Amino acid sequence: MAGVWINQILQGILLGGLYTMFATGLSLSAGVMRFVNIAHGDFIVLACFLLLILTTSLGLNPIVATLVILPVAFAVGFGLQRFLLQRVVGENVLLVILVTFGLSIIIENGLLEGFGADPQKVAGGWMETATIGLGGGINMGLFQVVTFVAAVAVVAALDLVLYRTGIGAKIRAVSDDVAAADLIGLSSVRIYAVAMGISFVTIGIAAGFMSIWTDFDPASGPTRLLIAFEVIVLGGLGSMWGSLMGGIVLGVAQSVGAQFDIAWQMLAGHLVFLIVLAVRPQGLFPKY
Amino acid sequence: MATNELLSVEGVSVFYDKFRALDRIDINVGAGEIVSIIGANGAGKSTLLKAIIGQAGRVEGRIQFEGENILGRATADIVAAGMMLVPEGRRLFPSLTVEENLRLGWAVGRKGEFGFAELWRLFPALEERKRQKAGSLSGGQQQMVALGRALLANPKLLLCDEISLGLAPLVVNELYALIPRVKERGIGILIVEQDIERSLAVADRFYCLLEGRVSLAGHPREATREMVMKHYFGL
Repeated sequence: MAGVWINQILQGILLGGLYTMFATGLSLSAGVMRFVNIAHGDFIVLACFLLLILTTSLGLNPIVATLVILPVAFAVGFGLQRFLLQRVVGENVLLVILVTFGLSIIIENGLLEGFGADPQKVAGGWMETATIGLGGGINMGLFQVVTFVAAVAVVAALDLVLYRTGIGAKIRAVSDDVAAADLIGLSSVRIYAVAMGISFVTIGIAAGFMSIWTDFDPASGPTRLLIAFEVIVLGGLGSMWGSLMGGIVLGVAQSVGAQFDIAWQMLAGHLVFLIVLAVRPQGLFPKY
Repeated sequence: MATNELLSVEGVSVFYDKFRALDRIDINVGAGEIVSIIGANGAGKSTLLKAIIGQAGRVEGRIQFEGENILGRATADIVAAGMMLVPEGRRLFPSLTVEENLRLGWAVGRKGEFGFAELWRLFPALEERKRQKAGSLSGGQQQMVALGRALLANPKLLLCDEISLGLAPLVVNELYALIPRVKERGIGILIVEQDIERSLAVADRFYCLLEGRVSLAGHPREATREMVMKHYFGL
């Protein structure tokens, strides 16, 4: 009987890897620019549909397709921040929320118009079906393990960029004091755009794994945003390794909850989120 | 008029909404010259520095740096061209280390000969603390980081906004002892300061601002205390 629970916890940890990927970009943009991009989840779904086109129409391998969209994702994030969101940043938090909420609606309905409401999925081929047996009836999907490892790599890479590179120091400086950055000639407008570009690269990576892991449809975005939001609050805003822990906590909570009753899956995740929020509102590994 | 003119501000007015913070100001600074701007609170001293570095609201008039118009240009461009501000209140990034704060100066600047070797020679106390968070330093050490950050940008013109503010007199002495050493490198220095005596002692020339206008200008040794007080307070 214990094997069942160990299995559920293990699957939950692996699911946490995917959840971490949803969250890292949001953690970066919210941590630096101090606003939540409401369309974050919808951009993940948009990228999933882009991958669907690249893999079906052009017949690209999913990994190649994901690599192809990463530079595009950076450009979209950079441009979105520079030419649209920058106009409302600093004015009023509500304005940014309204603008990104509007984007969310545009993306959802645009996708609905173009692809219909049917669930879609990118075929991962043999990667999806291969399993690693651990004995005692516990099996891990190869793809799930790869996703988790990739999530750890994304977190490590972002942490490295933020804390060991010149651009990372600039991003943290702007996050510390926007006006001071501008006073010494460190253009916050440019740094914001770069930070959003990096955030969007993680959106592209998350979409690469999500599009194979699970079905998606045009309305899948808000759920992804909610997960990402819960993960960064659990982990502590702006902390990359905290996002990984937050993702794992949420994944395990859902997975264990589902073992009691499948209807409890989402509820268990939300409950754990609310409990942590009440007991430790700064998150598990706060940075700010 | 300075012989080797670096900065020339002509007829500059700055507006915040309807309020005119500066009214047709004329000042200039030459290479290797220390110029002090004195004036009471609200006379427009900090506004003038912000207008020069490209961070003020609506600015009218002409601002030339090395003969080129810089009014309307982005601060990042002005800094890269060789001007750097030591902002009022230091404005370090507290969560970054001392070294990271300093590196930002180099990153935004002109990339000249003043590097970390020179910096550590000038501020030996900072080298020992380079891995510390800037927010953990004392006020005097933070001011040294702010000055060091500005010097690493290799400015031709250094703008210092109230660098003595909130610091112990001994620390202020140390800081002001450094100013002539900066000047020796041929750097022009524009100092804004409320401490009149300190500021006039180090300056080659000075301007006194009163309610947004230049009320007095000249050489410190030619100005009597009574003259300065009269134009400082407008009595």
